[in-house]
Amino acid sequence: MTSQEFRSNILSKRPRYANSRIPLLDALANKGSRTSEFSQFGPIYELYIYAMMLGIKRNTRLSLPPRNLTTDFLEIGKWKRDSALVDFLLMIIFSNAEKDLGYNLNDLEDLEEGELNKVISNVLMLIEEYANGGLEYLEKLWEKGELENSHYMFIDLYKSN
Amino acid sequence: MASIINSISFKNFFNYYGDYEDTRYDFEEGVNIIVADNGAGKSKFFNAFLWLFYDQILDSDDKRKKAIKDIAYKIISDKAKNETSLGSSLVSGIRVEYSTGRFKYQITKSFTATRIKENLTDYDSWQIVIDDLEVDQSEIILHRYKPVYDYDEKRKIINRLILPDLRQYSFLQGEEVDRIIDFSKKSSIEDAVRTLTNISKYEELVELIRDIAKKSENDLNKKTKETNAQTDRLEKAQQEKETLTFMLKKEVESLSEFQKLYEDAEREKNELDQKYANAEKRKELDEKISAKNRVLKSAKEEYDSFLEGINNKFFDGNFSWISLGFENHVEDFKEKIKLFRQNRYEKRALLKASESPNDYFTMLPVNSPDAVSLENMIDSEHCYVCDRPAEKGSDAHNYLLKLKNRPNENKPTKEFVKNDLEEFFGNLQVNASPFCNKFDAIPQSVLRTKEREGELRERVDKLNNELKSLKSQRKDILIAGAESDENDNALSIINQFKGAIKRMEQASNKIERLEGNIKELKHNLSVTEKEIENLRPKDLPEGYTLNYKICSDLEEAIVNAKERVFDNMVNLLEEHANRHFQNLIRHNDLAGGILKFEKTPAGSISLKYIDSTGNEVHGGSEGFQRMKKFSVVMAIISVNTTQYNYPLLADAPLSAFGKAFTEGFFEAIGGVFPQSIVLVKELYDGDDEMKLSDLGKKLIKEDNIKTIYLNTVNKGVEQIDLVTTKTKLK
Repeated sequence: MTSQEFRSNILSKRPRYANSRIPLLDALANKGSRTSEFSQFGPIYELYIYAMMLGIKRNTRLSLPPRNLTTDFLEIGKWKRDSALVDFLLMIIFSNAEKDLGYNLNDLEDLEEGELNKVISNVLMLIEEYANGGLEYLEKLWEKGELENSHYMFIDLYKSN
Repeated sequence: MASIINSISFKNFFNYYGDYEDTRYDFEEGVNIIVADNGAGKSKFFNAFLWLFYDQILDSDDKRKKAIKDIAYKIISDKAKNETSLGSSLVSGIRVEYSTGRFKYQITKSFTATRIKENLTDYDSWQIVIDDLEVDQSEIILHRYKPVYDYDEKRKIINRLILPDLRQYSFLQGEEVDRIIDFSKKSSIEDAVRTLTNISKYEELVELIRDIAKKSENDLNKKTKETNAQTDRLEKAQQEKETLTFMLKKEVESLSEFQKLYEDAEREKNELDQKYANAEKRKELDEKISAKNRVLKSAKEEYDSFLEGINNKFFDGNFSWISLGFENHVEDFKEKIKLFRQNRYEKRALLKASESPNDYFTMLPVNSPDAVSLENMIDSEHCYVCDRPAEKGSDAHNYLLKLKNRPNENKPTKEFVKNDLEEFFGNLQVNASPFCNKFDAIPQSVLRTKEREGELRERVDKLNNELKSLKSQRKDILIAGAESDENDNALSIINQFKGAIKRMEQASNKIERLEGNIKELKHNLSVTEKEIENLRPKDLPEGYTLNYKICSDLEEAIVNAKERVFDNMVNLLEEHANRHFQNLIRHNDLAGGILKFEKTPAGSISLKYIDSTGNEVHGGSEGFQRMKKFSVVMAIISVNTTQYNYPLLADAPLSAFGKAFTEGFFEAIGGVFPQSIVLVKELYDGDDEMKLSDLGKKLIKEDNIKTIYLNTVNKGVEQIDLVTTKTKLK
């Protein structure tokens, strides 16, 4: 598999979230219309990225329920197109490759195609599980009424984690 | 001789409970003041005069004047009502004593009320019988009253206290001043001038003389016809005169029509004046408000989009907040990719070495030595890599040359890994760089964002406040102008106002032209008359001609005199009004403009207030406006060549005045009215021991203030126990 194939295989993936997160997503991502009492992200992927990074920061991975209880959304390649963001995110993911994926970078180069595809799936799962961990954290705060209603809610929360 | 009110007393009249002796207020020539807080019987006191002069009472419930009989059940003191058992009667009334010349009068108006039902305050609980008007007369020196029986005589005595025509100037209740001098009515000042100057007598005289002149002319003409040789020519001239007279009459009629038009337009303009000023100001404010709204809208949009943009800073490479706290990850990745490359390199080298081992024993890194070093080595014939000579022509030297000329293109490398991910990871590192170099700047960037948000919010707040202030100004205007809050209303007022001005201008032009025509016609008439005179036979009896001439001259003289008298009076009024005005405002910090009376093309008089530079001043507070009017009222009284002989009876005319006006007011009225009885709240101070304000205490020491009464009510009691108590302070 070439670099390009590897990359486009990853970017074509659509991460999923648990259906139970939908109310939280509605509250914290406006998808284009401002309708919440809270500071909001725009598209879902922004909240998703934020949650994922929060999950990584907090080192909380949380498995998703079975596939039919989840919803997918925009493929990774379409998140903030033509930006450095996705590269940065993958960089963060791969910075923990041994621990999270069980391979170092060189190992990956020697895997059979089937194995490498598995790794790609694992990268996706990693993203989903960290995001789910972050969403869980947000959801708990939300339920407890501890989400501070300020324009700086997300950055303040991010700083404190 | 002036009429002076000696006393007023009440019997079970509103809060003035008790008999006349208990409630008697004695007054003197000069200024008399009754100080009372709200509810302490000020308006009730004033109502006594309404009863005296008009048999009416002002119903405080609906502010309408009502006939005594209809409101009697409200007039009776509740305390007295309560003490009257079913079937019993009580008397409620007022009594005024006044003196003029050598006589003194006592006037009593009252009614008897019989309680026929239980409920105290109902209209039909009381049967009312109006008692006969009692008027007693006494010579001042005798102190013994004798009743007056003749009803007409009684009326005359009441009227003599203040003549009905003059009551409007003498009898002031609150806003009455506004009504008396309503500058939007032509007649306001003109009527006063007419009253003061007996102009109507001149007018009657003019009519009379015109009649006589006409008769004498007819006589003269008759006589002329009998004797004249030039009859035809004379007749022609007389016809010409008739034509001219007819034309003149038409033009004069036309003039008066246009004067009327002008006057109507002027009245409309005056009525709209304040509204127009308001409407214009409102329009101006509306424009300001709408401009401010626009700025505010864009500021709000900027603020909102800034707020919305805050979270974008997580994902924007220029701010890269998302990378906060990921320094170690980035470092790890860097290490990893370094290691990755190293491993790869080794792997490849090993692979190559195993394939062509000879190439790799002296292996140098790819492309090394570099071209410059090789050049040096070739020139110096020495290999710096192994530090051995490499003379020209030797294998070593040739090898250096070979190295220098090595082909630039890489040989296609043989796959040494199954998946070549070097580019993938390399690109990650390169592309992600915007997110990898701002860790230190992020806290600062968050701080700056907060500061910027603060600035934008402050701007929105500031604009909001400015807008609020504009809106509140606009609301104030609405209240002052009592208009509905509609833009097109403002516009229609502006249009109406402009329309009135235009009509005034048109009428004024027409008036000017007509006046020109009239002047010319009069001239023609005068020369025609001269010609007629020349055509008359010379042997006419002198009496006919003389009669006619005298009458004509007299007519002209009286018309001129009338105009002169009128003009003089206007000038005099202006002078007096200004004097009073200066007195009234002397305690104010006002720059003190000038009141100017101006004759309008319609022949009426308008009042303008101009500043020292001659510009008309509009607006001013309600109190100020009333002062202006009051100055004119006082002028009307003070220009009277004979002394004004009637008292001023005033109820709270000061409520809209400031303190400084109030002080000026008391000083000024002393000079105009022989006696004033003024009921005021403004001098009351409930917290003071004497219940007097500082100004009240000051006034009590003034010589021109003759008496001061303080009215109080027993507070906190039921209506049926409410009684006004008077204390004579001076």
